[in-house]
Amino acid sequence: MKVIICGAGQVGWQIARHLSGENNDVTVVDSNPELVRRATDTLDVQGVAGFASYPDVLDRAGARDADMIIAATHSDEVNMVTCQVAHSVFSVQRKIARLRAQNYLAPSYADLYRRNHLPIDVVISPEREVAEAALQRLAAPAAFDTESFLEGRAQLLGITIDDDCPVVNTPLRQLTDLFSTLRAIVVGIRRDGALFAPSAGDQIFVGDDCYIFTDTEDMNRTLEIFGKKQEKQERIVIIGGGNVGLGVAQALEARTERVRVKMIEKNREFAERAADMLDRTIVLHGDGLDSSLLDEANIATADAVLAVTDDDKTNLLASVRAKEMGCKMAITLINDPTLVPLMGPLDIDAYISPRATTVSSILRHIRHGRVREVYSIGDAEAEIIEAQVLGTSPISGQKVKDISFPEGTLIGGLMKQGKVIRPTGETRIEEGDVIAIFAMSEDVPEVERLLQVSIDFF
Amino acid sequence: MNWIVRLPFFVVLMGLGSCAMLVPAAHAAVTGDYNTMRVFFYGFILCGFLTSLIGLATAGHAPVSVARSQLVGLLAAFSVLPLMFAVPFYEALGNTTFLNAWFEMVSCFTTTGATVYDTAARLTSSQHLWRGLVGWMGGLLVWVTAVSIFAPMNLGGFEVRATGGAGKGARGSFTQIGRIADPSERLVRYTLSLTPIYIGLTAMLWVGLVIVGEVPYIALIHAMSTLSTSGISPIGGLYFAASRFWGEVLIMCFFIFALSRLTFSRGLIGESDRGLRRDPEFITALVLIGTVTFLLFARHFVGAAEGQTAASVRQIAGALWGALFTVTSFLTTTGFESRFWGGAATWSGLNTPGLFLIGMALIGGGVATTAGGVKLLRIYALYRHGEREQARLLHPSSIGGGGKDARRIRKQGAYISWVFFMLFALSIAAVMVMLSLTGVQFETAIVLSVSALSTTGPLASVAAETPIAYSGIPDAAKVILAGAMILGRLETLAIIALFNPEIWQR
Repeated sequence: MKVIICGAGQVGWQIARHLSGENNDVTVVDSNPELVRRATDTLDVQGVAGFASYPDVLDRAGARDADMIIAATHSDEVNMVTCQVAHSVFSVQRKIARLRAQNYLAPSYADLYRRNHLPIDVVISPEREVAEAALQRLAAPAAFDTESFLEGRAQLLGITIDDDCPVVNTPLRQLTDLFSTLRAIVVGIRRDGALFAPSAGDQIFVGDDCYIFTDTEDMNRTLEIFGKKQEKQERIVIIGGGNVGLGVAQALEARTERVRVKMIEKNREFAERAADMLDRTIVLHGDGLDSSLLDEANIATADAVLAVTDDDKTNLLASVRAKEMGCKMAITLINDPTLVPLMGPLDIDAYISPRATTVSSILRHIRHGRVREVYSIGDAEAEIIEAQVLGTSPISGQKVKDISFPEGTLIGGLMKQGKVIRPTGETRIEEGDVIAIFAMSEDVPEVERLLQVSIDFF
Repeated sequence: MNWIVRLPFFVVLMGLGSCAMLVPAAHAAVTGDYNTMRVFFYGFILCGFLTSLIGLATAGHAPVSVARSQLVGLLAAFSVLPLMFAVPFYEALGNTTFLNAWFEMVSCFTTTGATVYDTAARLTSSQHLWRGLVGWMGGLLVWVTAVSIFAPMNLGGFEVRATGGAGKGARGSFTQIGRIADPSERLVRYTLSLTPIYIGLTAMLWVGLVIVGEVPYIALIHAMSTLSTSGISPIGGLYFAASRFWGEVLIMCFFIFALSRLTFSRGLIGESDRGLRRDPEFITALVLIGTVTFLLFARHFVGAAEGQTAASVRQIAGALWGALFTVTSFLTTTGFESRFWGGAATWSGLNTPGLFLIGMALIGGGVATTAGGVKLLRIYALYRHGEREQARLLHPSSIGGGGKDARRIRKQGAYISWVFFMLFALSIAAVMVMLSLTGVQFETAIVLSVSALSTTGPLASVAAETPIAYSGIPDAAKVILAGAMILGRLETLAIIALFNPEIWQR
């Protein structure tokens, strides 16, 4: 597939890296020649330096025979115009644009992005997705990673195994027998930094990071079995009042149960904007690293601190300081994946990786078949793919044990006619089922092939 | 219309004032009051002639600063123009001093409505009509000048929300502004758009009052004094009105035009407003009226409960309405007293709560309406500022929300409001001292100075323990009060703005 990616910033870079790794023909367009050169040097991509919305620049990037264009520059307006040019001049089939301004995203104006108006097939908004991810982390404070699947009926939980975990050193097969009614499956284990899909004979050790796919109703029970307690969160401090912090605060204000939110923002203008848009939240102006300010935010009695500024180091240090001052839990936004191993030593409970969430949301629209959701785990080491099974797919009508899944692949959950079931070897996969598959990165093409329309369909 | 623009503002007002003399003349001709008719018609001829002469002499006069000349013109309108109004009034009445006539006209034109003629029967109906008409014209003048002169200069309450400093025009550093509209053009435009509304509303209230049973000529004067919040009545107050309760209800509905300018001049000034329901002034007014009415009512109620008399439902309702109407009337600085007000006071067996009414009159109505006083927007700004400061005690580095506008009101708006409030308080003190020097008693001096500065003339007869008669105060005190009325009408800031170097320096 030929893909043009406009903008080689954080998001564009990650998508380019992801797609080029899957043998796509990727071209990166950016107005900064330095960035383009760096992209062509480090990734298997072509590069064009120029202003992304100019038709001649897109032409040079090969828009005439491109299958898809992803506009992820810093400017919303440039992204919009790029999509319009790609549609009107080059008839590019699929157009994805990143729009950050919340004003463009109001549901009442969703009509704007129809084909004959402003032809954008998919609007992605990283800030909004990150805000959602942050909310999910808050919902499951014991897990370091969460994502919902199957229309919210199933959850992926990332849990770190502690000493007091009751199921430690037990083979997974035995766990299945022990908790026969529990609809949960361990789909991935990260041990000593390496992620793998466990087989039935594998055991869980202390210090492992487990990815568990569980029915939403069984979430609390699952957490209990793995030695975690679910606690109510009433006082939350958000450090950073950008789009992410604002989105989280707005969502928290919209909740029916009363949540006391305090926000700390360094930039006066941003703080004022946040204060204008929020009703009950108290916005404090100052440095999130300042202990007197954290004191003013009453960090000692806070249930959780959410560090979501645009600076990784500030986030990390603010989280550490908050925990040191008595906050029960810290969730940190981290752009740089190499900082992830620091979470443990720094005693930070969970992290949000904006590019993982953004890349996931873009991948969802790139995958073949009826893929409904893709979630990228870790540093693009594995994915959870949620897809509807087509009648023409090779797995349709087969029993699970008869399907030749590759080695690093596990079925996390299956939804038949709106009901989530725990798949066993005898479960037959039928047309119309929604399936969630955990797959290591190298096995993704094979899984995609299984979900795709088979050749005899034509 | 071009020749009007070329005349000085004051001459235009003189001309209009002269023409207005035809109205009582015509009325007197119809009612057979030929003496009054003659005097007013001659007054029209005399003043019209004078105006023409001055107009010819000053046509094409190009002042150094048009804005300043208009501000001076406005000051002159409230101080000098009543002299002209007083001439036919003095002649027609015959048995009064010119000072009294001038005081009466100043009091009418500044929409204060304080009268030295305690017995209503001393004046003929046409002379009462002249009083009402002068007050009505004063109200219209305030409506128009507020949006056309004060708003562009950020004065008269507009400074609370304005981005620039008070008393300064919209002289930005934007290079694309090649020409600023001449203030005279603005004056003509707003006059043309606001006058029909003003006349239409007055006519509506007039017809309404007639329908509920009022004598047409009394209804007209009451309608005019409600719209202009002057509180002038030809029969010594609403108490004696034939329209009774329903007339009061109708008048109450028209008080709304003195609470917020959004009720009539919405969108005239390029401000973004969010409608009447979210207008801070309107909400402040409702809260104030509600609270004070409830307090007065509860106070009455407690007083009655302590006593022996059992209250009937009718009495309770009467007391409630009396409190509601009178409070609203004094908040708008009109000063009409409900017919149920006195009954409510005697029923509870407690003294007349005049202090409440003094407070209401001090607060006053909305910005750019005919109401006087400190103005609701300033009170709102001070309240918001206080609220914010309290929040800052809890969280010193917290940021207040509500938008740019709200933040500006809380900071610069509250600051300038506070300045104004202090100036107002100092004015009260100064006027009180001066009144005391002329031999007026202390309590009387308080009530009189508040009533003059807030342009609520009838306050004198309601607020004090015993009603104060304007006729009984010394001549020097009348002059002081007339000055205070002009000061209260124009607002201290506007007069200070005259001394703003930006205006008088070339």
